[in-house]
Amino acid sequence: MQNNEVDMNGLVLKIEELSIAFGGLKAVDGLSFEIKENEVFGLIGPNGAGKTTAFNCITQFYKPNSGAIYFKDRKGQTQNLLEHNVHEIIKLGLVRTFQNVELIRELSIIDNVLIGAHTDFKATIFSQAFRSPKAVREEREMRAKAYEILETLGIEDRANLPVGGQPYGILKKVEFARSLISNPKLIILDEPAAGLNDVETIELASRIRKIRDELGCSILLVEHDMRLVMDVCDRICAISFGKFLAKGTPKEIKENKAVQVAYLGIEVDHDTKQ
Amino acid sequence: MKTILKWLRNPYFQFLLFGILLALVPILAKIGIFKVSYITTLGGAFIFAIAALGLNILLGYSGLISLGTSGFMGLAAYLSAYATIDLNLPFEVAIFLAILIPTLIGVLVGLVSLKIEGIYLAIATLAVSEVMRKTFEEFDFFTNGFSGKTANYPTLFGVFTLDRTTMYYFIVSVLVLVMILTYNMVNGRLGRALNAMRGSEAASQAMGVNLLNHRLIAFALATIYASIAGVLYVHFIKYSYPSIWSLKLSLDFLAMIIIGGLRSIYGTLLGAVIVFAVPDLFLKQLPYFNQLSYILNGILIILVIIFYPHGLIYAGHDIKRAFNKLRKGAK
Ligand SMILES: Nc1ncnc2c1ncn2[C@@H]1O[C@H](COP(=O)(O)OP(=O)(O)OP(=O)(O)O)[C@@H](O)[C@H]1O
Ligand SMILES: [Mg+2]
Repeated sequence: MQNNEVDMNGLVLKIEELSIAFGGLKAVDGLSFEIKENEVFGLIGPNGAGKTTAFNCITQFYKPNSGAIYFKDRKGQTQNLLEHNVHEIIKLGLVRTFQNVELIRELSIIDNVLIGAHTDFKATIFSQAFRSPKAVREEREMRAKAYEILETLGIEDRANLPVGGQPYGILKKVEFARSLISNPKLIILDEPAAGLNDVETIELASRIRKIRDELGCSILLVEHDMRLVMDVCDRICAISFGKFLAKGTPKEIKENKAVQVAYLGIEVDHDTKQ
Repeated sequence: MKTILKWLRNPYFQFLLFGILLALVPILAKIGIFKVSYITTLGGAFIFAIAALGLNILLGYSGLISLGTSGFMGLAAYLSAYATIDLNLPFEVAIFLAILIPTLIGVLVGLVSLKIEGIYLAIATLAVSEVMRKTFEEFDFFTNGFSGKTANYPTLFGVFTLDRTTMYYFIVSVLVLVMILTYNMVNGRLGRALNAMRGSEAASQAMGVNLLNHRLIAFALATIYASIAGVLYVHFIKYSYPSIWSLKLSLDFLAMIIIGGLRSIYGTLLGAVIVFAVPDLFLKQLPYFNQLSYILNGILIILVIIFYPHGLIYAGHDIKRAFNKLRKGAK
């Protein structure tokens, strides 16, 4: 569905007054922000601030109580994401990873990556069952593409090993690879550096920028590792208790009084908090 | 030598070779190495293996349980018998009807699976199956009630009338075909999607897997397989009683795939042979065996779960390893 009223010039995602409550708890409360094309955008906030919940609303795992979410899809058309089912989101060009890695243990690494290409397959079940030449070719091409992605992440030597039993750093990479294979316009990363060591985190930072440049996509990430956030993000939005705190460049955020308070937990009078 | 090894590693060649090996049984029976009754026993086990393969797609891959396999298989058996005997329809038409009608019901059950899961789904499918069994008992114009319905060996394309041996070949051909199609499906996009659905609903949805569609597909496939098995059964064994299609049979299907191997095609076959053929071939001589078969299956399941939680088919790896060790030790 087209929504011509919304001005999405230069933007890929626009969130307006997003709110969702669980019981009495306002997990996200009147949150607005927008992400530009080709931007690495950070969403930060203390534990329980509502970051993952905001992601779940954007990707339609939760239907928000109120607010609007607009997304410029692959074809450049503006989509009201609330009108879509959760499984339709990736087809529009929006893909996510999970805070607690969600992979299929019994499948090989490359098969896990191929799950990300699920909606790109054209062959019907029938032609796959009977191995029509077209279905065989499609499977081979997709597999080659998945292998290529594993190569860029440096884990192609493990392509055919099962995911179960792989170290955490590898699992994070597999999930990342799975999100890349769909050629997304916006990738949402929920704590990509959690559980990684220093070397892996530095590697991740350069990879995020490289992906953005090579795919020409935007990246929205939640991360507690402040060095990574300050390092890779073009702009950052800080939230606390579901509410908007501040928005700006990494430098502006670092110097923002309200953000410092939220993170350091200093008690302040609500009126003086900007 | 190298090319032979390459051939041997080709899964399709393996399936064909496997089919040819199974087709040797009647020949071996003819020259007296096997008893002729083995043909019926093994043919029966292969028929059950087809239904079990369907259940393996449903439970092994999709993670959805069903205790209704026997009801669907029985429905297809009665439909095919009714269509060929009472309505005088050609075998091909009977197959079509006997697959279509149970599958429609199976898809309805699939719809229910969106709302309920796990043990509740097991109970719901059991209820459907028991209702069907009750129907088999009561609607005797269609099923001939408790006295049972008889059917004939089928006539293919209106010309080839099969007998026991050729029907056995027909069963083996269908089995190999079903194995190959299953292999293709589970190793491609569908298999990945079903695996994803079982492994992580969140991830599968985020990756674009439509849960409703795939649950329906899984139930439809399981029902189609059970129906094919039902049709083959009634035209091979040539009769159908309501008491065959009981909960015990559904549990046997479950036992087959757990003993043989979840998500394993050859494992399912192994399981079917262990659960259906081994008692018939080797244990029947023992007194009181009928009463013991439940116990035997129970003990087997427990042993397999303890030693081979992924199924007995993986015992092969261990045997190979032990063999290699022995060989190295001997050197
Ligand atoms: N499905 C749910 N049902 C009830 N409460 C929920 C649900 N999901 C999240 N919450 C609550 O909403 C609040 C925000 O949680 P959320 O997971 O979004 O935080 P977060 O910012 O991602 O935190 P973290 O940095 O620890 O991941 C928390 O208080 C959480 O308990
Ligand atoms: Mg979170």
